[in-house]
Amino acid sequence: MHRVWGVLAVFVLLPLSALAQGAARDEREQEMQEMRARIEKLEKLVTELQKEKETNNGVATAPAAGDQLQAAATPISHEEHAVGPAMPMDHSASQGGATNLVERKFPDLHWRGFADVDFSALDEKNTKSGFNLGQFILHISSPLSEKVSVFTETSFTAQAGPQATAYNLDVERLIIRYDYNDFFKLSFGRYHTPISYWNVAFHHGTWLQTTIARPEMIRFGGRFQPVHFLGMLAEGNIPSGSLGLGYNAGLGNGRAGNIARPGDSGDVNSNRAWVASVFSRPAALNGLQVGGGIYGDLISPVPELTGNPQFRELITSAHIVYTKETPEFLAEFAHVRHRNAFTQTEFNSDAAYVQVAYRLPGEASKWKPYYRFEWSNINPNDPLFSVATQPAPMVDDLTGSTVGVRYDITSLAAFKAEYRHTARKATEPVINGFFLQTCFTF
Amino acid sequence: MRIRKTVNVQMCLVLACLAAFSLIAVRTAGTPAEADVAIVVNPDNPVNNLTLAELRQIYLGERQYWKASSPVVVLMRSSGSKEREVILRVVFQMTEQRYTQYWVAKVMRAEASDPPASLFSHGIVQEGVRGNPGAIGYVYMNDVRSGVKVLRIGGLLPGEPGYPLR
Repeated sequence: MHRVWGVLAVFVLLPLSALAQGAARDEREQEMQEMRARIEKLEKLVTELQKEKETNNGVATAPAAGDQLQAAATPISHEEHAVGPAMPMDHSASQGGATNLVERKFPDLHWRGFADVDFSALDEKNTKSGFNLGQFILHISSPLSEKVSVFTETSFTAQAGPQATAYNLDVERLIIRYDYNDFFKLSFGRYHTPISYWNVAFHHGTWLQTTIARPEMIRFGGRFQPVHFLGMLAEGNIPSGSLGLGYNAGLGNGRAGNIARPGDSGDVNSNRAWVASVFSRPAALNGLQVGGGIYGDLISPVPELTGNPQFRELITSAHIVYTKETPEFLAEFAHVRHRNAFTQTEFNSDAAYVQVAYRLPGEASKWKPYYRFEWSNINPNDPLFSVATQPAPMVDDLTGSTVGVRYDITSLAAFKAEYRHTARKATEPVINGFFLQTCFTF
Repeated sequence: MRIRKTVNVQMCLVLACLAAFSLIAVRTAGTPAEADVAIVVNPDNPVNNLTLAELRQIYLGERQYWKASSPVVVLMRSSGSKEREVILRVVFQMTEQRYTQYWVAKVMRAEASDPPASLFSHGIVQEGVRGNPGAIGYVYMNDVRSGVKVLRIGGLLPGEPGYPLR
C-alpha cells in the first residue's frame, strides 16, 4: 500500500516541477517579445531612412499602404504578377536575412525523440505491478532535395521476462520518398501499414495519442492486423475540390513466417501483399476524416501447421475520426478473412473500437478526459489466430472499456492515468487494471 | 456686437469642421484594410486567388505544391505576433499549443520533413517571399512593401467587406 502512495506522490510532484519551469519560460518569452518589438522598430526606421535616401537621390519611393492595396488589385484583374511598380527598394536586404533563412539545405537532418515511463497494476493472477520503461523512439527526417525526403523511426524496447539482459533495437520505419506533386508521391521502405487510421496517425509516439495504449486490434506485436509493411507505396491527393480525397496504394512482402512481423529479410512465399486505401478530409469540417482500406496477402506460417497450409488473407477496414479536441472522436472497424488455400475453408473475425475525448475549456484546458470501448469477435477455429506455435500472443474475443484522463504538463509532455476493464471469454475472469504514463517528445 | 456674433458663428463653424475632420481622420486611420492580414506570395507566382479552404490546406501542409509542381514554402511569424494569432485562429483553428503538437505529429507521420519557418518580423517574411518563388507568408496590410503580391482570399482583398483574415 505504501508503495502505491509513493508512486502516486512521484506523479503528483511531476506537474509541480513543470509549474516551476513554466515561470522561467514566461521570463524568456517576455525577453523574446521585447526583442521582437525592437526588431519591428528597427525595421520601420530602416524603411523610413531608405525612403528619405531615395527622395534625396531623386528616386521614386515605395508606394504607401493604400497605394499598394490598389496596386495589388491591378495584377489580379489583369493577370499580371507584380504588386507595385518595380522599385529599387530593399536590394541590400534581399541579399541576406530571410532569403537565407528560408533557403533549404540538403540534407537537413531533424531529430526528434519520443519516450514514456509507465506504471501498471492488474488484478490478474500471476502478474506483478510496477514501473516499466516504455519505448524510446528516435525519429529522424531529412530532405535530400526539393522533392526527395528520408524518414526513419527506430525503437529501443526493454526485453520482457526474468531472463532479459538487454534492449531490443528495431527499425520501425525507414522510408525514402519522391514527391512528384501533391497527387503522386512514390516511396520505398518499411511502413506502418495504411490499413488502420491509428497505425498511420500515431506510430510509436505514445505522446501523440490521447490514451496510454493502442487499441488491441492494432497493437504492436499482435496477430490481428499486419502493423508493418515492407515494399513500395504511392500516395497523394485526388483532385476532388472540397471533398479533400486522398489515397494510398502499396505493394510489399506482407506477413513473415511469424505473422506478427513483416518480411524484412525477404518474402516468405514469393507472393506480394497489396494494400489500398482512400480517405476524405472535407473542407467544410476541418478535422474530420472518413476512409477505408483493403489489404490482401498469402500467408505461409512458420513453424508450419499440420498439412503445411497457406492462407489467403483479405482485410477490409473503415474509419471515421474527428481530431478537433472539443470533442475528439475516433472509430475504426476491421474485418479479417482467412481462407485456407487448399481446403477453401474460411475464417472470419471482426474488431472495432470507439474512442471519445474532450479537451476541457479555459483554465482546465490542460486536462482531457477520455473513454474507449473496444470489441472483437474472433473465430476460435482460425488457426492463424489460435495456434500456440506462433511467437506472438493468440488473438481472443474482447469486450473492454478504458476510462482515463490526460494532463498536458507542457505542450510537449503529458501525464495520463487510466482504468481498464477487460472481459474475454465467459469462462475467463474479468481483468481490471490501473495504469499511469508520463510521455513526452523532445 | 453684430461683428462679435459673426466671429463666434465662424469660430463655431471652424470648430465643427475641425471636429468632423478629426473624426474622419480617426476613422481613416482605423480602416479595416490596415488591420487585415494580407497573404503575400512572390510576384512570379501565377496564383492570384485562393479560397479559405485552399489556404488552410496549404498552411496545414496538406497541399505542398503549387500547380506547376513547385514546392510551397510556408512562412510563419514567430509566436507572440498579432498576425500569427489571426492566422492560428482563422486558418489553423488551433491554439499555439495545438499548433506545436500538430507539426510534431505531421513530421512524425512523414507527411512533412520539417515545420514551417517562423520568422521574427514582417520585413523578414517579405524578404523571404521576395527571395523564394514558392514562398507564401502573411503580414498586416499596412506593412506590405513592394516586391510581393497580395493574394485575394475567396475573391476578396484586404479591406473589402467580408475579408476573412482580420
